[in-house]
Amino acid sequence: MEVSFKEEIASLQLGAGEVFYGEGILAITKALLQSGVAYVGGYQGAPVSHLLDVMVQAKDYLQTLGVQVQACSNEAAAAAMLGASIHYPIRGAVTWKSIVGTNVAADALANLSSPGVIGGTLIVVGEDYGEGASVVQERTHAFALKSNMLLIDPRPELSHMVEMVEHAYALSEASNMPAMMELRIRACHMRGSFIAKDNKKPKISQHAALRDPADFSYAKLAHPPATFVHEKLKISERLPAAQRYILDHHLNEHYEGKQTDVGIIIQGGLYNTLIRALHQCGVADVFGQSDIPLLVLNVTFPLVPEQITQFAENKKSLFIIEEGAPAYIEQEIATALHRKQSTTHLHGKDLLPAAGEVNAEVMMQGLVKFFKQALPELDTQPLQAALAATATRRNVIAEKCDAQLPARPPGFCIGCPERPVFAALKMAQQDVGPLHIAADIGCHSFATFEPFSSGHSILGYGMSLASRAGVSPVMQRRVLSIMGDGGFWHNGLLTGVQSALFNGDDAVLLIFKNGYTSATGTQAIISTPDEKIKSAAVDKLMSLTATNTTIEKTLEGLGVQWLKTVHAYRVSAMRDVLKEALTTEFSGLKVIIAEGECQLERQRRIRPWLAELLKHGKRVVRVKYGVDEDVCTGDHACMRLSGCPTLTLKDNPDPLKVDPVATVIDGCVGCGLCGENAHAATLCPSFYRAEVIQHPRSLERLVAQLRRVFFNFIQPA
Amino acid sequence: MSQQPISLLICALGGEGGGVLTKWLIDVARLSGYAAQSTSIPGVAQRTGATTYFIEVTLQTLASLNGRQPIFSLSPIPGSVDAVISSELLETARCASNGFPSPDRTLIISSSSRSLTVPERTHGSDGRLSSTELTKIIAEVCRCHHVFDMQAIARKHGTAVSAVMLGAIAASDIFPFPKEMYQQVVRDSQRGASASLAGFEAAWTIIKNANSPIETVQQLMHEIASTSIHPAISQHFPAVLHPLLQLAYERLVDYQNTAYAQLYLQRMQLIVKAESKVGAEQQHHYAASLEVARYLALWMAYDDVVRVADLKSRALRKHRVLKEVRASASDVVKIYDYLKPGLPELAGYLPRSWAIKLLNWEKNRTARGKEPFALPLQLATHTVTGLLLLRVLSAVKYVRRFGYRYQEEQALMMRWLDAVIKACEENGELACAIARCGRLIKGYGTTNQRGKDNLIYTIDVISQHSFGHVSERIQAINQLLQAASADDTGKAYDKTLQALGLSARPVKAQPIRWMPKSR
Repeated sequence: MEVSFKEEIASLQLGAGEVFYGEGILAITKALLQSGVAYVGGYQGAPVSHLLDVMVQAKDYLQTLGVQVQACSNEAAAAAMLGASIHYPIRGAVTWKSIVGTNVAADALANLSSPGVIGGTLIVVGEDYGEGASVVQERTHAFALKSNMLLIDPRPELSHMVEMVEHAYALSEASNMPAMMELRIRACHMRGSFIAKDNKKPKISQHAALRDPADFSYAKLAHPPATFVHEKLKISERLPAAQRYILDHHLNEHYEGKQTDVGIIIQGGLYNTLIRALHQCGVADVFGQSDIPLLVLNVTFPLVPEQITQFAENKKSLFIIEEGAPAYIEQEIATALHRKQSTTHLHGKDLLPAAGEVNAEVMMQGLVKFFKQALPELDTQPLQAALAATATRRNVIAEKCDAQLPARPPGFCIGCPERPVFAALKMAQQDVGPLHIAADIGCHSFATFEPFSSGHSILGYGMSLASRAGVSPVMQRRVLSIMGDGGFWHNGLLTGVQSALFNGDDAVLLIFKNGYTSATGTQAIISTPDEKIKSAAVDKLMSLTATNTTIEKTLEGLGVQWLKTVHAYRVSAMRDVLKEALTTEFSGLKVIIAEGECQLERQRRIRPWLAELLKHGKRVVRVKYGVDEDVCTGDHACMRLSGCPTLTLKDNPDPLKVDPVATVIDGCVGCGLCGENAHAATLCPSFYRAEVIQHPRSLERLVAQLRRVFFNFIQPA
Repeated sequence: MSQQPISLLICALGGEGGGVLTKWLIDVARLSGYAAQSTSIPGVAQRTGATTYFIEVTLQTLASLNGRQPIFSLSPIPGSVDAVISSELLETARCASNGFPSPDRTLIISSSSRSLTVPERTHGSDGRLSSTELTKIIAEVCRCHHVFDMQAIARKHGTAVSAVMLGAIAASDIFPFPKEMYQQVVRDSQRGASASLAGFEAAWTIIKNANSPIETVQQLMHEIASTSIHPAISQHFPAVLHPLLQLAYERLVDYQNTAYAQLYLQRMQLIVKAESKVGAEQQHHYAASLEVARYLALWMAYDDVVRVADLKSRALRKHRVLKEVRASASDVVKIYDYLKPGLPELAGYLPRSWAIKLLNWEKNRTARGKEPFALPLQLATHTVTGLLLLRVLSAVKYVRRFGYRYQEEQALMMRWLDAVIKACEENGELACAIARCGRLIKGYGTTNQRGKDNLIYTIDVISQHSFGHVSERIQAINQLLQAASADDTGKAYDKTLQALGLSARPVKAQPIRWMPKSR
């Protein structure tokens, strides 16, 4: 990737007493180094991409510490890396986006948790849940429960999060359980500060490598009959050890309050929202001093039953605030109280919505209900009035807008090489009829939004080709599977291509070869253009993806016989090759590679180069597309094939015409799609391409002047 | 202290520098000695989706709090946000519709600029939301608001909108930070500091000098110079029609010649005469004539490759392009035009019998699955040959009237005019509705053909079917007009037909491609 993390890398090197300023996920990264981590791995994905990106770029510094960093090919690979801590007392950390990443890693995680670890292992999962999330909505909690892993959900404050990382390692070593730390989206992107400590060099590392492997021990294998013993150990030894550590080190925080009849138990990650909600109710100040006793669970698995029952003692009512479904924590607390024959009333999902994010408003609504029952003397009228006022404001606007305001989902970047392919696909379907399209995870899933509204299913990252295996046989037309190069290497090569070849499937696969895993933040992969080629390129404007043919060679090596590569911006050619793949006599796997470098990365690459050329007075050609406003028909067919943010509308300057005309605004990178679409779809003849030549050659200048003279004679006003 | 920290919600689009703005604000707070926290939902925001950032700052300095820090909220609470700043008008309205700002507490600073959403852009005629309505929504949910064009200021000073937003925040005094501290932080940032500071200053000045909190969103009203109305118009038509007819007259003289423009006026005479017969209470001030005046002129000046060549070879056009691409005087600019004339374009200029033969030949070819014959050109119009070619092509207009297309168009527009005239006898509003269907006629090639098909079908279906009352017919026409513009596949149109109790149009024959599939 072309983004530089110079500042972030500097803050990773802060020493004891210095103040760290930055985002939550970077604080966690620093905390790993302060905890003496020996190896780090993971797979990129919001909201935790930064952890790995910064680490990968900080390789030189990490080398001095002896920390090994690995950009893994998927989450399963990352989880398997933690196996190092089964035999050796070294600390490891891996990261990914959850729930999806944890799903992919599940096999390795189960096999890691069974024998257990002796070196602390920490999995930093970005809990992609609620507002801003981009994946299926499920709880990571389930994995902690089923595989017996620690689950840390820290109160979102940087120093506390950093402290909890250090505790997580100690806890993992005390209990032999792998630890997971779930960080919600906003916590990852929260900017704050903490006082740094020195980074610790791992005792065993590449600088101090082990001479001999550990002795053979069957008990360390996730293999029968050891697995039966592991299952029992989890319950008889590991859980009690973890619970002891949690109690001894006060990992869960108990805040006293004067309303001793009631209490709230909450996940650590929701603490800040709770304090603000209680403040709105008038029962807490903004510093966190609450009238209601609180038990903040910074460790949500395992719970410590005696801590819960002790907190519940002498309380008439308890309110469990837990996010998402199923309500695992509430169920466990209910069991604990029931076993103790507690008379405390337990509230939770009866007062909160069973599904979805628990934001401040949801929490306030729940608190009002709780206080009405448990603390009737408390005046909740002002809060109820405020909640009602908000609802009224919303309703008034909803009525006024007639319907919903149009959504603004993310879309392809300006000049994205994937947009033209979907334009071609739209045109191809006009000829061959509508297709069943198996979509995938990646930037190309933005084609599910308007104007393309394309794709029937998304079964996971790299799963598109595999997901058509059941559809194809029952469909008269061929099915198209779409995959990015990120998805191809993550999973698609094996689950899709290999399986289709082995079974001799009549399948069509379209691979976007843009050179990066762009949707996760343009990380490099094995088919990314080489750094040396990038710096040696004379014309840096060219897409450089063609210089790396790992995907093509892999496919050929695997036995793909029908393989065509088309440049993504050649819309007519792409349409024709799509039609060919969908109608050819060849009945095996047909692969089309749409080649075109990720525009984000290309721009980052060429912008400094162009600036440098201009500074030195060198010739630079800038391309911009435009629309002749008096020729544009105002039927917006071009928009339905593009959706580019720079191709938009303006009022019709012609007083006779009423419909707005198309216009290309600043920001156009001259990708060429407008012109390609104009020809391929036979749109109106209003598009033009302008090449602005800065610092032209003298001959160019002369020709231009001569033309001007001639034009003055024959050109009408 | 039990008062909440000061809260600011930033609404922006991905890639606009919301992250930079947030970091600037956090740095300003730190340098000024206040504790602050920010969070965001960036997601995949670099790709132009809507996104928000949230910042909280303590009311007092860290020193006066003795190091005690409030528990900052990670998300805004509806109704208790102190300020909202937004770089786009719809996003401001969205924020309002989510209930975040409240009339007793919130200051809203919003850009008046719009970045149109895809559904707004893909609509067949005009799907844009009204900025006036959006501004009204905003005005009602806050204690005070400033609306101005942040993007224009950013463009003017060659900076990102984030710098302009920072200036507006600084000037609004929602945070207790001195102006110099904001400027200091911008200066310390690596790139483009001077441009950012200029944008900052411009926004500062606008907020500080805002007398009326609202910058009225100007509706672009096209004023028509009523300097000299042609006597043929001023003497024979009611005054309300003069400006439009004058425009139309000039357009048609430019398009073809004076005789053609006179033909237009003759046709308009028929409409005006018909509408004059409508009862006085139903005349609607020549509403139908006004509609016909506009759409008949546009139809008569139908777009074809000759007209395009003419428009693209004018000097004015070149100046417009140079301005649009921001070329400086020392730059050399090359212009390539995308044209793709096909056989129907050629046939349009041939005599009727030849044209029909040619079109039938083409029809047979495409029926066999072949691509329609067309010549994709990237014409270098900045060159001498390119310009000459366009001039030669535009000269073909002198034989336009003898061609097949001309005759076809005239015949179809007469059908529409007849329908309007006939409706005038029945009901003024009905005539008006049919006249408005002229809006469907626009564009080139298939777009143009689809528009004509829809128009003629609408006229026919409405006249052939019996509706209970004339108001139902008017309603049906309006619905069909809307559906015809809504999508280009005709699905919406057919659905509307069915909803009206009519049958959908018969399926058009289309070549089928068989896909072999061995298993």
